[in-house]
Amino acid sequence: MSDLKKVLTEPLFSANPIAVQILGICSALAVTTSLNVTLVMCLALTSVTACSNFGIALIRNHIPNNIRIIVQMIIIASLVIVVDQILKAYAYEVSKQLSVFVGLIITNCIVMGRAEAFAMKNGPVLSFFDGIGNGLGYSVVLVSVATVRELFGSGKLFGFEILPLIQDGGWYQSNGLLLLPPSAFFIIGGFIWILRTVKTEQVEAPDFKILPNTEHSGGH
Amino acid sequence: MGLRTMLDNLAPLFEKGGKYEKMYPLYEAVDTGLFSPPNVTNNTAHVRDGIDLKRIMITVWVCTFPAMLFGMYNIGLQANEAMAAGAGTVIEGWREFLIVLLGGGAHDAASFWDNFVFGAAYFLPVYATVFIVGGFWEVLFATIRRHEVNEGFFVTSVLFALTLPPSIPLWQVALGISFGVVIGKEVFGGTGKNFLNPALTGRAFLFFAYPANMSGNAVWTAADGFTGATALSNAAEGGVQAIIDAGVSWSDAFFGTIQGSMGETSTLAILLGGVVLLVMNIAAWRIVAGVFGGMVVFSLLLNMIGSDTNYMFALPWYWHLVVGGFAFGMIFMATDPVSASMTDTGKYAFGALIGFMVVMIRVVNPAFPEGMMLAILFANLFAPLIDHFVVQANIKRRIARVS
Amino acid sequence: MSANNDSIQKTLTVAILLCLVCSVIVAGAAVGLRGKQNENKANDKKIAVLQAADLYVEGQPVADQFTQISTRIVNLEAGRFATDAELQEIRDAGLTVENFDQKKSSKTPALSRALSSEEDEASIKRLEKYAAVFIVGGSDHIEKIILPVHGYGLWSTLYGFLALEGDMDTIVGLGFYSHAETPGLGGEVDNPKWKALWVGKKVFNDQGNVAISVVKGGAEAGNPYQVDGLSGATLTSRGVSNLVRFWVGGKGFGELLNKLKGQGA
Repeated sequence: MSDLKKVLTEPLFSANPIAVQILGICSALAVTTSLNVTLVMCLALTSVTACSNFGIALIRNHIPNNIRIIVQMIIIASLVIVVDQILKAYAYEVSKQLSVFVGLIITNCIVMGRAEAFAMKNGPVLSFFDGIGNGLGYSVVLVSVATVRELFGSGKLFGFEILPLIQDGGWYQSNGLLLLPPSAFFIIGGFIWILRTVKTEQVEAPDFKILPNTEHSGGH
Repeated sequence: MGLRTMLDNLAPLFEKGGKYEKMYPLYEAVDTGLFSPPNVTNNTAHVRDGIDLKRIMITVWVCTFPAMLFGMYNIGLQANEAMAAGAGTVIEGWREFLIVLLGGGAHDAASFWDNFVFGAAYFLPVYATVFIVGGFWEVLFATIRRHEVNEGFFVTSVLFALTLPPSIPLWQVALGISFGVVIGKEVFGGTGKNFLNPALTGRAFLFFAYPANMSGNAVWTAADGFTGATALSNAAEGGVQAIIDAGVSWSDAFFGTIQGSMGETSTLAILLGGVVLLVMNIAAWRIVAGVFGGMVVFSLLLNMIGSDTNYMFALPWYWHLVVGGFAFGMIFMATDPVSASMTDTGKYAFGALIGFMVVMIRVVNPAFPEGMMLAILFANLFAPLIDHFVVQANIKRRIARVS
Repeated sequence: MSANNDSIQKTLTVAILLCLVCSVIVAGAAVGLRGKQNENKANDKKIAVLQAADLYVEGQPVADQFTQISTRIVNLEAGRFATDAELQEIRDAGLTVENFDQKKSSKTPALSRALSSEEDEASIKRLEKYAAVFIVGGSDHIEKIILPVHGYGLWSTLYGFLALEGDMDTIVGLGFYSHAETPGLGGEVDNPKWKALWVGKKVFNDQGNVAISVVKGGAEAGNPYQVDGLSGATLTSRGVSNLVRFWVGGKGFGELLNKLKGQGA
């Protein structure tokens, strides 16, 4: 049972796929302008990761080694198409905004990474929860990025007005930079910064150390 | 040496183990600001003359004064002229209160004092905000990271303030300088480790975050309800003729009696400071030459190519020089020694890239009439790469000589 | 993992079985959900039309609301509704009449022509021969007409609908359903406040010429032909102005509007 707890909670902060392993950044930039869209994307990615992990772990003892990546890809791709179809049918507005990024879950490093690194070596149930855990880790970052972007970029959360905009007669002047994709870089960077200030063990050792060049001579 | 002894007596309090150990950077800043630093190089020295970073930075800071003082006068001139022409009204508020208090309430565009007081009431609060907020971040990081408070900040703060439009809200100023100092510099480890010019990083942040306050026709003159195209947007609409039709001659643009960012309008005042920097070898003349050369060559090329629909193609180089932020960027921003190329050959290439990009953005990009800020930031990114190739070429040449 | 996993036989078996299972799942999902998806897609456009005409009521079935609207194909060059022969031409080119895809038709050589740069006020490169307009009310008494419009702004082509009253002159609404202008500047074309500025403006002046335009710096108060430009978005404003003028002009729906006006709607 402790295994299960570990695979579920570890990816949240200590081994977060985005903040620590720096995987899956691309969609984090593109889909985080509003929380609604972000949540759907997180849900889609989490379910794909969990189900593909489950499926791959289920047949892991039968997967021929020389075509294992292709096998993983087929399973992941099929699941992504299914998710995409479901979104188009039941969440059309959101799927329009997600457009190509649902399809791009296929190439999301988190999904492939978990399939290859975890599901190929562990049982289906544990793999399933590993997928959920990593999906949640991804979601934590995306939701925080989207919260900042939507709140300060358009003064709303989930489409509800929190900070009334000047254009609509309120007082808040929206920050246009946050509506542009590159702003997510800064926010993810800030997230990593805070995370590493709290969890100092994540700080990488410097590549080299600069020798001291001066010394205090004491006198003037 | 009364002051010296006093500082020395205070020193133990701030050094390791002292009562105010955490405040050491502040003590250091005051000490080395007043006296030359006590540190000496003890191995593989690179220092080639007696001047240290502090003196350099203070010199640059002083060299911005002509542009700053003229800028203050010009802010008033532009606004008072606009009001006299009935194109705008006085912006009521504490600034107007100050102006009236200091005897500038007549808003007479012919009076030097009225203009200067008006400009001071707009520029100085912006500068003070930059200084206080930026200084706060600087000291905070210096205290936590245990490095000295750096005078580079003097330069960053004044350059940042001078590139802003006069009507900018102060809270945006605070936000911009915070972004410039923290994201542009401190996250990379402080002065000397940043690869982007912090002043421009802050300005770029404001430019993209609050475009309505940083671009367009309404922000460049501090009069309520006033709108007027800048020389550059006039040029984009109808070439040189449109600038002249709008009442701006080349000499107006050169002397700086046009609307624009607070300290960027007067090419003359900027060049005045620039000459000092160049003569003292503080600003690299190779970079300045590169920027100027790149701009001239590429604009001449575009003049020759020509275009039926885009008037900017025909804008001659001597107009490119005097409009927008070109001169200011060339003298003060591009020559920032930290974010520019280090090698001699690299400096020409780095400068030329800026000169090329600024003309490119001004002429070809429909959305941004001005390109100096983006061109310099773009070239900043390439500076290490340029240096890398210069060093590699050098190594190759010398290997060839041996074998 | 057993050693025989890598034998050719096993590899092929696994590959084929996996492909079969996956294709069944994917095909099942695609076929099973197709109806719902098509309905969504069709509704999407219908909602945009209804919104432009200020008729959309949220929460009610779109199909029901759309019953008050009829779709007609227009021959742009001739300035009249398309004849049966012309409808056949559209079908021959591989498009449907019921769900006329105007965007696609502008890319079909048989149904469109290239515009020279002088003609191309809205920067759309190719002008289609037919367009689908939406009409509220009967063909003898038109209450509102909704025209599809598109044109280039600053970064992207804006697609939208312009709705006019039965007098073929007064604007009911203008809305864009697809564009990629700068958020906060050009993106403000979606701002309801700005869209409200269009309502009640007149397209044609007394002489019957196109008079509507977006004015930089601010419209004169009370001028029925001017709309305020978006502040800080000169080029997007100009783009919107151009595209509206283009589509109500001679190469767009101008002829048709004239004729319908003549019928005394």
